[in-house]
Amino acid sequence: MEGSDTYIIRPNHQYKFKPAIVKECIREIVRERLSGMRYDPEEVPELSRSLADCIKDKVKNAGFDRYKLVVQVVIGEQRGQGVKMSSRTLWDADTDNYAEDVFINDSLFCVAAVFGSYYY
Amino acid sequence: MDDDQTEEETAFVVDEVSKIIKESVEATIGANAYQHSRVNQWTTSVVEQCLSQLSKLGKPFKYIVTCIIMQKNGAGLQTASTCFWDNSTDGSCAVRWENKSMYCIVTVFGLAI
Repeated sequence: MEGSDTYIIRPNHQYKFKPAIVKECIREIVRERLSGMRYDPEEVPELSRSLADCIKDKVKNAGFDRYKLVVQVVIGEQRGQGVKMSSRTLWDADTDNYAEDVFINDSLFCVAAVFGSYYY
Repeated sequence: MDDDQTEEETAFVVDEVSKIIKESVEATIGANAYQHSRVNQWTTSVVEQCLSQLSKLGKPFKYIVTCIIMQKNGAGLQTASTCFWDNSTDGSCAVRWENKSMYCIVTVFGLAI
């Protein structure tokens, strides 16, 4: 009896994590939820959590099979202060990727980043 | 051939990672005041130091390290993260550090291979 190798250990090109598509997902959600919002310290914890959950669900539905996702949302008040956010990763550059988007209005700024890592 | 690895060697140990993060932050921006011109270099250096220490642990993990440095001026900042992963093997660790002129939040996500 011969078996064939069917367990996929590297995604095909069309099944790879596509940053452009994910960035679009993030953009839609963030723009819809945050346009016209003001920074309110009471609401912001709940808002950032629910934004992260929405983004995660939307990316899951986009059909990236076998990918583990990490979604990070940062919302800050705009008061003229300086802010810098940076990230580095130790992963497989062939299969893994990330997408991010920044939204700014008069009273707040929001950075959302989605990291996708292939599960072998 | 020794394929068995004990639980401790392949789990995400939050304390160990937290210690690595604190050391990296202290070493890079420990005593400094916020300077707009140096912030780029600081965030990069914190993140790269963390990553190199983490890779020295030799665990079968993929790491994502993010660092936010914000000047103190009374403004509020909130970070939230949600993950779709395997709870039994993957983990995250966030460390909040501050000095007189700035805040620094470093988050490390570890994803098991």
